[in-house]
Amino acid sequence: MKVTFPYWGNYTIAFEALVKKLNIPFIPPEETNLKAIEEGAKLSPELFCFPFKVNMGNYLPALKKGVDTIFMWENVTGSCRMRYYWLIQEKALQEAGFDVKVINFNSRNLFSRAKEIKKQTNVSFWQIVTALAFFLKEVFFIDKLEEKTRYFRPREKNQGETDRIIREALGKLKGVERNKELSDLKKETWRKFAEIVTNKKQECIRVGIIGEIYTVTDEKVNFGIDKKLGEMGIEVHRKLTLSEHLKEGFLPWKEKMLQRKVNHYLKSTVGGHGRQAVEEMLEYGKKKFDGVVHLLPFGCMPEVTVRPILQNISQENKIPFLSISLDEQTAEVGIQTRLEAFVDLMKSRKKNN
Amino acid sequence: MEKELTIGIPRALFYWKRPYFWENFFEKLGFKVLFSLPTNKEIVENGVEVADFENCFSVKVFFGHLLSLDGKVDFIFLPRLKRNELGLEYCPKFFGLPDLASILIKTPIISPVLDFKKDNLEQTLIKLGKKIGKERNLVREAIAAASTLEREEKDKSDKDYLSKIGSQKKKIVLISHPYNLFDEYVNLRIKSKIEALGGEVIFIEEIPSEKIKTQLAVSPKFHWEFGEEIIRRSREILKHGIAGAIEISAFQCGCDAVLKEFIEKEFKKEKIPFLYLLIDEHTGEAGLQTRLEAFFDTLK
Repeated sequence: MKVTFPYWGNYTIAFEALVKKLNIPFIPPEETNLKAIEEGAKLSPELFCFPFKVNMGNYLPALKKGVDTIFMWENVTGSCRMRYYWLIQEKALQEAGFDVKVINFNSRNLFSRAKEIKKQTNVSFWQIVTALAFFLKEVFFIDKLEEKTRYFRPREKNQGETDRIIREALGKLKGVERNKELSDLKKETWRKFAEIVTNKKQECIRVGIIGEIYTVTDEKVNFGIDKKLGEMGIEVHRKLTLSEHLKEGFLPWKEKMLQRKVNHYLKSTVGGHGRQAVEEMLEYGKKKFDGVVHLLPFGCMPEVTVRPILQNISQENKIPFLSISLDEQTAEVGIQTRLEAFVDLMKSRKKNN
Repeated sequence: MEKELTIGIPRALFYWKRPYFWENFFEKLGFKVLFSLPTNKEIVENGVEVADFENCFSVKVFFGHLLSLDGKVDFIFLPRLKRNELGLEYCPKFFGLPDLASILIKTPIISPVLDFKKDNLEQTLIKLGKKIGKERNLVREAIAAASTLEREEKDKSDKDYLSKIGSQKKKIVLISHPYNLFDEYVNLRIKSKIEALGGEVIFIEEIPSEKIKTQLAVSPKFHWEFGEEIIRRSREILKHGIAGAIEISAFQCGCDAVLKEFIEKEFKKEKIPFLYLLIDEHTGEAGLQTRLEAFFDTLK
C-alpha cells in the first residue's frame, strides 16, 4: 500500500506528519498550482465543486509515482456534497485508468479505520493516539502562526519580514517529529514575531474573510488573498480555520449557540459553513469592521444559498461586502483588480468618516 | 363574519412533490387558495433577475413564482422541508428557502418545519393549526380529506404506469426531480417531443414505491431522500425493457452533479442508451429537438 491524500494549504504539513507517525508509506500530494488544477479539472465531472477538481490535480503526480491508495475525509454530518468526494474521486480516477482505491475516513468509522491501520503497519494503539495528538498540536500551531502573520503583515516596517518568519517556521515544521521540537519551534517563532519592527501609530483597515473553508484557508487556491490584502495595509481577520472546525465538531453546544446568533436571518443549517458565514458577517458588522470579503468555489451550494443574506446584512449595517467565486478559470489578475478596487472603496469611506 | 383569508402557493419546487395535498388541506381548513400561474417567460425572467447568479435554475424559477404572488394574497405557504420519515434530507436549498424568500417579498410567509423524523405530518400540521387558529379536529379532517384525494390521484397514476410498461412503443424513462419532470415550460415540453418521435414516456416519479421497497439496499447510502429512491426506481424500470433513459438536471443543481454519476452507471451497466440534459433559462427548443432526434437514432 502506498498512500496519498488531499493537499490542503499549510495543513498538509500536519497530514504528512500524521501519516509518517503511523508508519504508512506515502507520497505527498503535489502543492496546488495552475497546471495541477487544469489536469484535475479535466478528470472531474464538469459541474462539480472546485475543491474536488483541485484535489484530483494534486493526486496525479503521486499516482504516477505508484500511489495505489488515497485517504480522504467524508463529512457524514454535513449537508454539502463534500461527503461524496471520496466515492466520485475513486470513480473518476478508475475511469481514467488509475489502479487506485479511495479510503474514506469519517467521524463514525475512525475507530475501525484505526484498527485496520494497526493491522497494516504494526503501530500500537498508543502510537495512534499520540500521532493524532501531535497532528492536532501542529494544526493549532499552523493556525496561530497564520493568525499572527495576518496581524503583523500590514504593520511591518521592513517589507517582507513577516512573510520571512512564517516561511521559515513552516519550513522547520516539516522536519519536526517530536513534541519538544515543536514547542521549541513555537517559542522561537513567537519570539521572532515579538521582535518585528512595526509602525506603531498605524491604524489599519480591518477586513474579515468569510466563506467556504477550503477556499479561505488554502492560499494557493485563493491566490494568497491574506497576503495581497496585508500588503495593501489591511489587517485581515479570519475565524474559519481547521482548528475552529475541529473544535466545533467536538463541542456540541457550539452549534446551538451558532443557530441562536443567526436565527433572525437564517432559521436552519444550509450545509457546509453557510451559517458560520452569516454569524461572522454579523460579528464583523458589530465590531465595525471596514469590510468583509466572501470567498467560495463557484456554485458552492451552502455559500450561494447564504450570499443574499450576507448582502442583505451588508446593506443593513452599511459594511462594504465583496464576494468572489473561484474556479479553474479564475485569473489572478481579476482577483487583484477587484481587491484593489475594494480596498480603495474602504480607504475613501474611512477618510470621509 | 370572518373574512376568508387567502393562502398563496407558488407552483414550483415543493408544490410538485405533493400537487394535490396542500390546496385541498388549506381549503378544508377554510382558506382560499391561490396558485401562481403555470411557469411562463415572465415568471422565469423575474426569478432569474432577483436570484443569485450561481443559484440553481429550479430555485430561480421558484423565486419568479414567489414574486408573482407577492401582494396578491394574505399569506404565502412555503414549508421548510428538512427530512422525511426515514431521516433522509431534502436538498439543502429547501432548508434556507423561507429565509431567502422573506428578503424578496413583503407578504407574510407560513413556513412550518417539515422534519418527519422528528414530528410526523399530523403532529406538524396540528402545531401549524394552533398558530393559524385552526383547532386539531379540523386539522385532522383536512389531512384526511386531502390524503384521500391524493390517494385517488395516485391510483390513477399507478394504473397509467401499468399500461405504459405494457406499451409496444419505445419506452423512455425520464429522470429528474418532480419540479423538472412535470413543469412543461421548464422542460420545454420534452414529453410531447419524445412522444412525437414515437416514444412512450415513463416518469421516474410514477414508478410505484411499493415495487421498490423489497429491493436490496442501495450502495452508497445517499443521505438525500431522492437519492436512494431514484436508484431503486431506475433498477425497477430496467426490468421492463426500456429503450433509453434521459436525465434532466437544472443548471447548477449540486445534488444532481453527484447523483448523475451513479444514475448513469445503472443504465450503462445494462447497456441502455443514456442522455443527460442540462436546462436553464437559455435552453432552446431547437437544440433540444436536435439532441432528442440524435438520441432516438441510437436506440435499438
